[in-house]
Amino acid sequence: MNNRSLIHKKNLHLLFYPESVAIVGTNKVKGTVPGDIFTNIVGAEINAATYPVSPREKYISGVKAYKYVIDIPDPVDLAVIVFPNTVCHMALEQCGQKGIKSVIIISAGFRETGEKGLQKEQQLIAIAEKYGMSFIGPNCLGIINTDPIIRLNASFARKFPATGNIAFLSQSGALCTAVLDYAQAKNIGFSKFVSFGNKADISEIDLLYYLMDDEKTKVILLYLEEISDGPGLIKAAREVMSKSRKPVLILKSGRTAAGASAAASHTGSLAGSDEICDVAFRQAGIIRCDNIEEMFNIAIAFAYQPIPATNRVAIITNAGGPGVLTTDAAIKAGLQLAMFNDETTKTLKKSLPAAANIKNPVDVIGDARADRYNAAISAALEDEGVDAVFVILTPQSMTDIELIAEEVVKVSRQYNKPVYTSFMGEADVAPGIRILQSHHIPHYILPESMCKSFKAVFEFEQLSLKNEGGETKVYNVKREIVRNLFEEAKQTNKKYIPEYLAVRAVEAYGMPVYPHGLAKTQEEAVALAGEIGFPVVMKVMSEDIIHKFDVGGVITNITSKQEAANAFLKIMKNTTSKQPEAKIDGIFVTKQIEKGTEVILGLKKDPSFGPVIMFGLGGIFVEVFKDVSFRLAPLNKKTALEMIEETNASKLLTGIRGMPRMAIGSIADAIVRLSQLATDFPEITELDINPLIVLEEGKGCYVADTKIIIQ
Amino acid sequence: MDKEKLKERVKEVVASVLKIDKSEIFDEANFIFDLGADSVQSIQLVAAFEEEFDIEMDEDKAVGVQTISGAVDFISGYL
Repeated sequence: MNNRSLIHKKNLHLLFYPESVAIVGTNKVKGTVPGDIFTNIVGAEINAATYPVSPREKYISGVKAYKYVIDIPDPVDLAVIVFPNTVCHMALEQCGQKGIKSVIIISAGFRETGEKGLQKEQQLIAIAEKYGMSFIGPNCLGIINTDPIIRLNASFARKFPATGNIAFLSQSGALCTAVLDYAQAKNIGFSKFVSFGNKADISEIDLLYYLMDDEKTKVILLYLEEISDGPGLIKAAREVMSKSRKPVLILKSGRTAAGASAAASHTGSLAGSDEICDVAFRQAGIIRCDNIEEMFNIAIAFAYQPIPATNRVAIITNAGGPGVLTTDAAIKAGLQLAMFNDETTKTLKKSLPAAANIKNPVDVIGDARADRYNAAISAALEDEGVDAVFVILTPQSMTDIELIAEEVVKVSRQYNKPVYTSFMGEADVAPGIRILQSHHIPHYILPESMCKSFKAVFEFEQLSLKNEGGETKVYNVKREIVRNLFEEAKQTNKKYIPEYLAVRAVEAYGMPVYPHGLAKTQEEAVALAGEIGFPVVMKVMSEDIIHKFDVGGVITNITSKQEAANAFLKIMKNTTSKQPEAKIDGIFVTKQIEKGTEVILGLKKDPSFGPVIMFGLGGIFVEVFKDVSFRLAPLNKKTALEMIEETNASKLLTGIRGMPRMAIGSIADAIVRLSQLATDFPEITELDINPLIVLEEGKGCYVADTKIIIQ
Repeated sequence: MDKEKLKERVKEVVASVLKIDKSEIFDEANFIFDLGADSVQSIQLVAAFEEEFDIEMDEDKAVGVQTISGAVDFISGYL
């Protein structure tokens, strides 16, 4: 945690729980941000002293106003600045002089407008640093704390939301108002509601750490448009999960493939920024959501219901079709249909009509009323083999929707197991849904959303219980060799490290390579091939040729000196005719590797999250099959093995149809060594080992080709 | 025009547009931060200065002027 973060940690409590608030730059004009902010603060019946600061007004809504914040005779904990951007720095300076430690800067017209705005924003940061202040914004909607002991609405949001245990943090202020409206309709309450705008000072990371210890918050939702400190975000989310077991749900906009097309390596083109974001979030236990609806679907499951021990669900329905749909959705989501014990079966048989289906999914039949639902739900919840109950209802002429909803509420309160509902339809079921929502029973329009939400809760629980699995091993490596290679490249302004040099880098990190050398002339090539021992492979080495196969720059299985001489000439001819402008360093001669399974190891430096390691099925078709897995570095051997298991390639490696089991342990070892190389040398932007030839178990694996690109 | 005289006339215009007492206006007063001008009044001030001094100012630059002394310097460039 850096100095600013430590200061924020100290100041954030005053942001949410101030005893006194100054609204700096407010006025009497309704329907304007400066005017409405004061109205909202007072209108929410805040339990704190309020001080309007306005250059012109003597009183605002009957409250004495001050010309300057420094004129306020009492101490002030929080200032909300609503002045135009041209004078925000003056207001912030006075807040510093007044000793105010927490500030919200609502005003827009900063970084989001360009270079001049950025300068203004930097001026604010400098002032905050000078006085040890922390501020939210600028360019934000403000914050809301629904805790009854404060009732703070320091925002220009129209609504003051209901109290709840969900915290919502957003980079977009406009989205906040839409979310408040959406949540109100579904009776969803919030603990804290924060629009952090340009996050010039206090960021989402600082807020995550604060909410980790906030007793009023059970679930944290975050809307992000840009990730400015990926490693910091991942670290914070991991800490929140491990220390408080609070789930962090993120909706990250900008799921585009921009950037991937410009990549120079296989790893670069496969590891798009959004894929890496997915991987990073998954590694940190963050639940990534695709839209607001999905985010709240999952959030209410966490917020309202107990966490299931395992994933055996019972489905209670009054219609066959929706029962089957729910079953399909449950199975697709990886859930298990619970098997009822004898006692449950007996109870169901006794309570339900003969035509009812007493096996899971239980069909209580179309004419079922509240009593029948009660009997079936209770019986299922009593069963030790049931972890959760999904209640499905379709509105039929005899269905007493509201009574059934009330019965679901009543029964669910008697058990410490989750009950989720899907009252299917819209108009007729609306009164029943309102009852469910007002009593915090999660309701989903579609069974698919219900199953997906349950899955997210269950998986989070499993992940938070899971042991990370040991420390990351640090190998004894020859770091100097790599450092010298890179220094030399930097001095000659080269970004591309050719194979004959790259192979020395991976060799220095303990990855197995075959004997090799670089020949500049035909004679040298022949001599080198003889020294290495036949068969050999020859490859053209040129910074300008990325894919050597495509230009006929690789010849394999060279078995004699004559063949070596011919191969040298052929490669030179091929490459100079297909890419005449290419500057050729020489021909790389290496021992022909025995046959094995080809896999790819890769590394890409992501601008947001740092080095990412890739594993997958290798060879020239890697981008076609895309059978790859990713993890952020550093990683340990257990994670490396997980990466291998995740791919379809793992089936080839574990031995199918009489094929031998391959050296999986050696691959995992190479992955961890690559991760160490990535961590030691952040200047590596892309690295491919393609292929890594994997031999039978006990014989190891060998690097057959590698390339490195540095910053 | 003498700068002191110009300053007094600028203050009179500001007092009239913002409807405040001239005695409250000090030389380094910021139109927004100290005198409470809003965005509409900032534009009104530019128009009032043009009328008072019979000049035509560069509007973009004029709204960027933030203080009484800044306004005096800016207007003197047109006189």
